[in-house]
Amino acid sequence: MTTAALIHVIVSGLATGSIYALMALALVIVYNATRTLNFAQGEMLMVSAFLAWTAQRTLGVPLWGSVVVAVAGAALLGFVVERAIIRRSPGATHWDVLIITLGLSLVLRALAGLIWSHDEFPFPSFFSNRPITLGPARLAPVSLGILGASLSLMLALYFLFTRTRLGRAMRAVAQNPQAARLMGVSVERMSSAAWVLAAVVGALAGVLVAPVVFLSTKMGLIVISGFTAAVLGGFGSMPGAVAGGMLLGVLENLAPLYLPSGIRYAVPFLLLIAILTVRPAGLLGRVIARKV
Amino acid sequence: MRRAALVALIVLAVAWPRLASSYLVFLASLVLVNAIVAIGLNLLSGYTHQLSFGHAGFLAIGAYTTALLGLPCLRLEGLYLTMATLAFGFVVTEAILNLDALTHGADGLRVPAARLGPWALTTDAARYYLVVAVAALLVVAALNLARMRVGRALLAIRESEIAAQASGVPVATWKTLAFALSAFYTGVAGGLFAWLIGTLSPDAFDVFLSVDFVVMIIVGGLGSVPGSIVGAAVVTLLNDVLAGFQNYRPLIFGSVLIGCMLFMPGGIASVWRRQTAP
Repeated sequence: MTTAALIHVIVSGLATGSIYALMALALVIVYNATRTLNFAQGEMLMVSAFLAWTAQRTLGVPLWGSVVVAVAGAALLGFVVERAIIRRSPGATHWDVLIITLGLSLVLRALAGLIWSHDEFPFPSFFSNRPITLGPARLAPVSLGILGASLSLMLALYFLFTRTRLGRAMRAVAQNPQAARLMGVSVERMSSAAWVLAAVVGALAGVLVAPVVFLSTKMGLIVISGFTAAVLGGFGSMPGAVAGGMLLGVLENLAPLYLPSGIRYAVPFLLLIAILTVRPAGLLGRVIARKV
Repeated sequence: MRRAALVALIVLAVAWPRLASSYLVFLASLVLVNAIVAIGLNLLSGYTHQLSFGHAGFLAIGAYTTALLGLPCLRLEGLYLTMATLAFGFVVTEAILNLDALTHGADGLRVPAARLGPWALTTDAARYYLVVAVAALLVVAALNLARMRVGRALLAIRESEIAAQASGVPVATWKTLAFALSAFYTGVAGGLFAWLIGTLSPDAFDVFLSVDFVVMIIVGGLGSVPGSIVGAAVVTLLNDVLAGFQNYRPLIFGSVLIGCMLFMPGGIASVWRRQTAP
């Protein structure tokens, strides 16, 4: 295996990994605000990508415009789901929300199948597929483009969470909902904001990944990789989610080179078991003792 | 009253092959096999509030996976277990597709007829009686479990893991045991399923099958053995009725899950309990 080929594999792994990282961030944003897991996050990504595609096809909206449509649609979907379903659940424990969002993922997938069919569709990309030569390596602009766009989005999220009132309020709720409420932060409004923000991040990830994997109702399964990434980094930690996503992407791309090719599908599962056995808190997570 | 109902149920179960057509006998066997899986899943979810998406995987490869998955599960709690088992379900399907020598890949396997000593169980009625006998045994065992030390320990874990631990319940051990028991039930059901269907192929065991089992216990009622059986019957019959509308099936099942969690948490079992309570 030459160095150039290795660089190619690693860069495309990082590109895949940055999509996983965005998915992981979406899951962590909801988790931090509500202590629940949105199992339907992947299906919300899929629906947003289909909305963008429909805007391009039937309304003739340019690619840039269709991204705006996807983001707006996702934000609306996130808002409606949180208000109309999640907030009405009587217990709203992580168990209740898990089952509800499991049901939601089935419903969204079936509806998407009825509207758009379960076929695969090509999705236009911002980036060309023709490899360019950079020093010793030949790299696909698609990989670099996905990586660049994801990193910019992560940077934007970093500023949101450290520099703005909204971001700081969301972090306060993540740390301690009761104390945040006493300081005048509306926990309910933050829950709403988290669902909308996560849906938007998912929509952007969806538009980025759709050209690579094709647009189909199966796209939602990316939620498993996103969850694995979040656990690898330490569930709840945002830098951890990014690191976990990148690591997962690279390992998934490297493993088939050295092991039987079927191993690719087992990588997330094996990594999950390995990390939870060796270091349950994740790579960047802290061990926090729970109080009764 | 209770005893009369029980006797009527047993008589009906025994006489069923004489009353119904052979397809309905097969369907009844399928309900019971699914009920065994649902009870097994309920032992895990109902008693410890953990969700497994790996049960189609267990159904596919039987209870020996316990050794593979049961031990790491010492570490997994709540959401982690859910996602790990979901990934596990995928791995099992992939493995079956790839282990050609053992499983003939996507072509599937023919299952030899079940034998009990000199008798080969070749008719629907014979297979039905085998399923009824095994199901009855496992139902009684599950009912008794709730009253045993183990069952009470598991319920304590569900109510509060920390309080259970503080009271001296070895949480990790019992949770692994719950997982093992749950996988054992599913493994047994897997064997019965193989005999019932006659041929095996990996696409019969996809992740959506695991979702079916989750729907069964949510509809029937978490932690309730009769609820598991009712839930299995509802889902199996719905599946049969909706066979021609495959695209609407997940839509209906998904809506049922959401509806149950919002308006009927506790499932049919809790509604029944409220109706019959004085």
